[in-house]
This record gives sequence, structure tokens and C-alpha cells, in this order.
Amino acid sequence: MKTKVVLTFSPEASNQPITHNLIAKHHLLVNILRAEIDEVGGKMVLELSGKADDIRGGIDYLKANRVGVRPIKEGVRRDDEACTHCGMCVSICPTKALTIDPRTGKVSFNEEKCVACGVCIDACPPRAMEILI
Amino acid sequence: MTADEFKSFVRSNGVKKAAQEVDVVTTGTFGAMCSSGAYINFGHSEPPIKMQKIWLDGVPAQAGLAAVDGYIGATALDETNNMTHGGAHVIEDLVRGKAVRLRATGYGTDCYPRKEIDTWVSLQTVNQAVLMNVRNAYQNYAAATNSSSKTLYTYMGKLLPELGNATFSSAGAVSPLINDPYYRTIGVGTRIFLGGAQGHVIWEGTQFNPGAPRTPNGVPKRPAGTLAVLGDLKQMNPEFVKGLTFTRYGSSLGIGVGVPIPILDEDMARFCAVTDAEVMTAVFDYSHATRTRPVLKEVSYADLRSGEIEIKGKQVPTSSLSSIYKARKVAEVLKSWILKGEFALQEPVQSFPRDRPLRTLDVRTEREAT
Repeated sequence: MKTKVVLTFSPEASNQPITHNLIAKHHLLVNILRAEIDEVGGKMVLELSGKADDIRGGIDYLKANRVGVRPIKEGVRRDDEACTHCGMCVSICPTKALTIDPRTGKVSFNEEKCVACGVCIDACPPRAMEILI
Repeated sequence: MTADEFKSFVRSNGVKKAAQEVDVVTTGTFGAMCSSGAYINFGHSEPPIKMQKIWLDGVPAQAGLAAVDGYIGATALDETNNMTHGGAHVIEDLVRGKAVRLRATGYGTDCYPRKEIDTWVSLQTVNQAVLMNVRNAYQNYAAATNSSSKTLYTYMGKLLPELGNATFSSAGAVSPLINDPYYRTIGVGTRIFLGGAQGHVIWEGTQFNPGAPRTPNGVPKRPAGTLAVLGDLKQMNPEFVKGLTFTRYGSSLGIGVGVPIPILDEDMARFCAVTDAEVMTAVFDYSHATRTRPVLKEVSYADLRSGEIEIKGKQVPTSSLSSIYKARKVAEVLKSWILKGEFALQEPVQSFPRDRPLRTLDVRTEREAT
């Protein structure tokens, strides 16, 4: 199975080889979709592939090492009330999580494809997109 | 019929039958229209004030119209808020029924002794609140891209470097003036849908440029005609009046405009049958910060809506800045008003000029200006 998670960690935790351990000790395939680090800690968006037990084990390992783990669905949120379905976000979304249906003219947001990169946030004229991490 | 319905009717039945059977086609557009604003009469205070400077929720409004009239422009900005809160947001808040804070100062006269006021107003407390937009519903508009190496933040949205994307803003074949390219039925006095209420075309819009190049079907290939429009803000619906923010550009007003077009004859039926594949525009390179930006390519709205266009051998993803979803909704609502007898078509009381040169602003001497 596959799952996408958002990791947040403190400066201490960022000194540990956590992706190496996920691969070597928990037998997971790790695809780093986004990674950033600054003086207050780090943030990483990973796609984990492997057996369900290994994924669970890997996530337990992260939590035990004080790494915050959240599902990607909690990464970016759209305010459906504010969205005007203009489609400005469609051409800048690198993972095609935002697409326009030519029949209805409506913009749909596929949270599964979103990697919480945030490029849509300041591009949205009605300010309907919000990044939570 | 809505513009979409009419186009498919013509495809199946031909222009002749469409001209015989269809009376009115409803068009619509919903997009960022920067040259918009509202005039408001606040009523007189006790003691009265002659307002010289006005702020609504921190956004400066234009004074200089007698004592208590003000005009709030969509792109006026609250200077303390990093270009994220402007007149367009104040207008949306008013339409939503919210109260906004009014501050004003004056110099004090014998007849208007008060020098300042700080209070709250809403659409319920003011006399007139009228949306008066001097340039809306552009008849076609440019598409934008960016060939430079850095991201540009423009009124055409976020333009990614190295031709990373392209944006466009016209509603294309459903847009009002695209369906009446020579302004036969749209003129001064035409009754329209404006922001969810009924309004009127009050004049040609500013920068009205009927001389723009056209395709053989009459449709301009560049920004051409525009409309100056007016309607009662108190009757409007927030679904069609939306404050927008363009990062590092400022605010703009998202507004729904719909115009009914009577199918007077086969010519009008032919005009209204135009499709996205037949409406062309040019992709301009916005990395050149000049009024004459280079054209990289001519494309149709069908190309733009396909999701990507090819420029210089590269597949460039496209985005619309106007909402086709809401444009269709405008056309639907207008159609339902007409069918229910709530909206009467108004013949123009005066036609638009067909010869209006588009002038530029140059630095010139007093003598050169006369």
C-alpha cells in the first residue's frame, strides 16, 4: 500500500537519519515529495510504500522519535464557499491536484494528489486555499 | 436560451432556424474587473461635515463630491495591510450586509462645522450605494505568459518562469460583447445583469477600442469594446460580487455581468453562434514591463481551454482567471428572469461609436497637448 504523510520535526529530530531508518529498518520505499528545514525545525512530505504493517511500524518509529506525523489531507484546505472556480490554480499546481472539469466548469481539488507545496496559496484571487502546515 | 444552449442549437439546426425560433440569447462573464467601484451617499451627520478625506475599513475612498458623497474604487488599498485588503473587499462586505467603519475628516466651514467623524455604516444606513464601473466586460482580452527566469505576480495572476504557465481572462464565446461584435444591440441604456441585480449600460467603457483587429466573423482578436455599467449595490448578491487579491498587484473586484442579446435577424444569430474555436487572442510576454509587450502566439479559446498550448516548442499549461462556471450561471439566472417576466429587454437609447482611437499617455509639453 501507499500513503502520503506530512512530517514536522524539531531541530534535534532533524539531526537523525529518519528517512534512512524508514528504508533500512522498516523496509519502506520512501519518495520525498517536499523537504525544508530552518532554524525552528523541518517539514517533509513523504510518500511511503510497503506492507501495511511496515508502514504502521515506520509511523510508530517516527512518533517515538518526536516527529509529528499527519495525513496529507490535513496539508492544504480549500474553502469551497470562497472558491469562484476561476481556475488560476490549475496551471501552477505541479501535481495536477487541481483540475477543471470542462463540462461543469468547476475546479476540483484532489487531496490525494496534493503534496502541500503551497504554490496555489498566494495565486488564488479569492484566497480560498489555506495551508495548514 | 443561454449562449451555450444557442450555440449547440445552431450546430444541430442551423442559423436560419435559430433566427426564426430564438428570441433572446443570454450571455455572461464573471471575472476580475479592476475598473469598478461604488459611489455612496452616507447621509448628513449632526453637526454636519464636509468630508475631504474618507476611509472605509481603512481603505481610502474618493471625496471631493459635495459633502457626504464618496466613491470607493475596487483597487484602492488599505496601506497598512500589504496589498491584501482593498476597495473590492469593502464592496463585497457591504453586499454581504456587513457594517464597515467610516472615518472622515474635513476642514470645517460655517455650514459644515464638524471636522471629523468615526462611525459605522452599512447598506441599511446609507442613502444611495451604487456600483458604477467605468470599464467592465472587455470584448476579448490578452493571454499572458512569462519568458523570464523569475516568477511574476501580475494582474493576470501568478506567471511561472520559463513559460511555466499561461493565463487568460475572457469568458470567450459566452462573453457578452463577443456575441454582438459590432454593438448592434448593446448600447447606452441596455438593461443588464450586474452583480446579481439588474443594472444598465451607461456609456461605452473606458479604453473602448472598436478598431482592434478582427477575424472575418467580426470578433476582435485583441482587447476591443468595453462597457461602463451601473446598478444598485443594495440589490446585489455576494455570489456575483467578490473581492479578489492578486499577490503583489493588489485588489480587484470579481463581478458577474450578463447581457441579453435579441436575435433580430440571421446576422445576429450568426454572431451569437460563435464558438471558442473561432475566438482568437494573443499570448503576450509579460516579462516585458512595457505597454507594447511582444506577442508570442495567436491562439483560440478552445486551445486555451484544452489545458495547454504550445509556445516555442514547449507545452505550456493554461489557467483561466475568469470563472466559466459563474459566467454560465450568470447566463442561466438572466435567462430565468426573462422567462419569468422579471426582466424586460431595453433597446439602447444611443449606440456606441464605431470610430474611437485608443490613445496613449506620453510625457509631453503643454503645447504638445493642445
